Amino acid sequence: MSWRDFRIWGLAPAWVIMALTLVLPIGIVVLVSLSIRGAYGGFDWGLSFDSYAKILFEEDWDGNLAFTPQYLAIIGRTLWLAGLTTLICAVLALPAAYVIAQAPARWKAVLVYLVTLPFWVSMIVRVYAWIIILGNDGVIEKTLRGLGLVTDMDSLLFTNGAMLTGLVYSYIPLMILPVFASIEKLDPALIEASHDLYGSRWVTARRVILPLTLPGLMAGAVLVFVPCLGAVLEPILLGGGKTMMMGNLIQTQFGGGRNWPFGAAIAVTLMVLVMVFLMLNALRARREVGHA
Amino acid sequence: MTRTTRLLGLTAALATLPLAAMAEGELHIYAWSDSIAPDLVAKFEAETGIKVTMDGFNANEDLLTKLQAGASGYDLVTPSQHFVRIMIDQGLLEDIDAHDLAAYQAVDEKWRGQWWDETNEYSIPLAYGTAGFTVNRDQYKRPVDSWSVFFEPTEDLKGKIAQLSYPDEIVGAAQLYLGVPFCSEDSAEMKRVYDLLAAQKPFVAAYTSDNIENRIGGGEVAMHFWWDGNSMKTRLNDKAPIEYAMPKEGLVGWLDSFVVPKGAANVENAKKFIDFMSTVENATAQYNYYGHSAPVKIDTATATYTPENAPELFPTVKVEFSRACSPAAQDLVTKVWTQLLQ
Repeated sequence: MSWRDFRIWGLAPAWVIMALTLVLPIGIVVLVSLSIRGAYGGFDWGLSFDSYAKILFEEDWDGNLAFTPQYLAIIGRTLWLAGLTTLICAVLALPAAYVIAQAPARWKAVLVYLVTLPFWVSMIVRVYAWIIILGNDGVIEKTLRGLGLVTDMDSLLFTNGAMLTGLVYSYIPLMILPVFASIEKLDPALIEASHDLYGSRWVTARRVILPLTLPGLMAGAVLVFVPCLGAVLEPILLGGGKTMMMGNLIQTQFGGGRNWPFGAAIAVTLMVLVMVFLMLNALRARREVGHA
Repeated sequence: MTRTTRLLGLTAALATLPLAAMAEGELHIYAWSDSIAPDLVAKFEAETGIKVTMDGFNANEDLLTKLQAGASGYDLVTPSQHFVRIMIDQGLLEDIDAHDLAAYQAVDEKWRGQWWDETNEYSIPLAYGTAGFTVNRDQYKRPVDSWSVFFEPTEDLKGKIAQLSYPDEIVGAAQLYLGVPFCSEDSAEMKRVYDLLAAQKPFVAAYTSDNIENRIGGGEVAMHFWWDGNSMKTRLNDKAPIEYAMPKEGLVGWLDSFVVPKGAANVENAKKFIDFMSTVENATAQYNYYGHSAPVKIDTATATYTPENAPELFPTVKVEFSRACSPAAQDLVTKVWTQLLQ
């Protein structure tokens, strides 16, 4: 067997695992989305696009089939929130990663460890911590009261802000780490060169540091944006469950709604959206490599 | 017996031997979270030598989905009445001849032969109660004799009301208030339910099923959709200034039963557990632990909760039990919920 063949067949175990754990389950979800719903949950095999049509057209209260914006509204809100979370994470992660990268070697390891520390704790516990911080008589309210800054304040919990805070907190390590990796590889000589050529701090940041750390930022953006699209916990526990995200919508359809095919159709739609995002990202990266 | 059949018999016996040995000692239970007294589970293990594993669920739908997905690995589960009906109709349950169990003799007459298991083949009830709303008396002082207080609140209750995140419960209560029958397939009627809930939404702080004790007990909200026994325990144990309302339009009823999923590995152990839980002594201990009404005979002398100290468990208004809705009716419930939270 030539080396060339081995390069293909040597990867067989990886292909098999990918096929069994990734392609097969996705295939099942796609098939379920095309199947016919069971009366009490579950489904019967079949081929029907009703579930996809339902995302856009549904019977209104009078029984007429009409365009329904509600699912699009939920999808739009999810995209907006995930995008906003990604942006905030990026803005916060850049300086944090820069500080870590500039730290002395023995501190660097400790700081990176600290960034990953929350992952050792269950997600639910971390989200619950924010309930204690933001809640009525919580840490923030008590502090502000103690300082005499406020006397009567509206609850911080069960707001969109609380939900956003929870999402940023949950996923920011996934942004810091890749950004840190690309900043660390940054050649300090280039920054010096920029200063030598009378580049101000701002110009250096914008024209040297930012472009060179872009691959890290992009990787981080993917790692944050994608799980945010499927977030279920934060909307319920911190947002107060007052508005649905796609994750909650899918959960409702598989649970109380007893409409598995429709739940699967929304899940597939979510997946397609994610793939479009990733592909645009990849195209953009390729174009930038081309320019360089 | 010929030599061949003897040989066959021996082979069969040998083949089932390791399986039987394994099955002898195990019981996998999937019940409502924290619903079964841990002391009783320990006692059962000590008496029978059967090793019990216990998992918890928080919604009937979770349980149904798990059974529908197949091979759940559980031997004993505890759905509410309407889900017992669905599971029987879907062929998801093992016929255990429940009427022949010793436990059946302990079941109160009025819970036998009900619409969810007419011939008592599948289920033995474990606990029952109601869903309604609880008020914090430091926050709200007026009478709570109608759902109108909760669904059509006065201006001062803005952000002071909390709902559960279970559409079935909320919609059921709204239907009671409006006089719309459960599982209505009438779109116009369900639109009224939606309008009521949509008008209530500005007053709702959260649709959540977590951490209710603190939220209503501590007065973070003035009213919370809740269950009878939970409200009672928080009032008695935490001395919370709360009251479980008895709305004149009625309360939503539920009754959880032991049933065995189809294809369970340890059916006999499951039956043993059902019988064990239904003896007077153990049923009383379970009642005292769980704090929801017992559908089986208990010893009133050692029961902790009585009509005097636990009026929550002894409703003075009519109780209407949730039903298994048709897909058309369920779609309307989901539609109300999705539009409410869109």
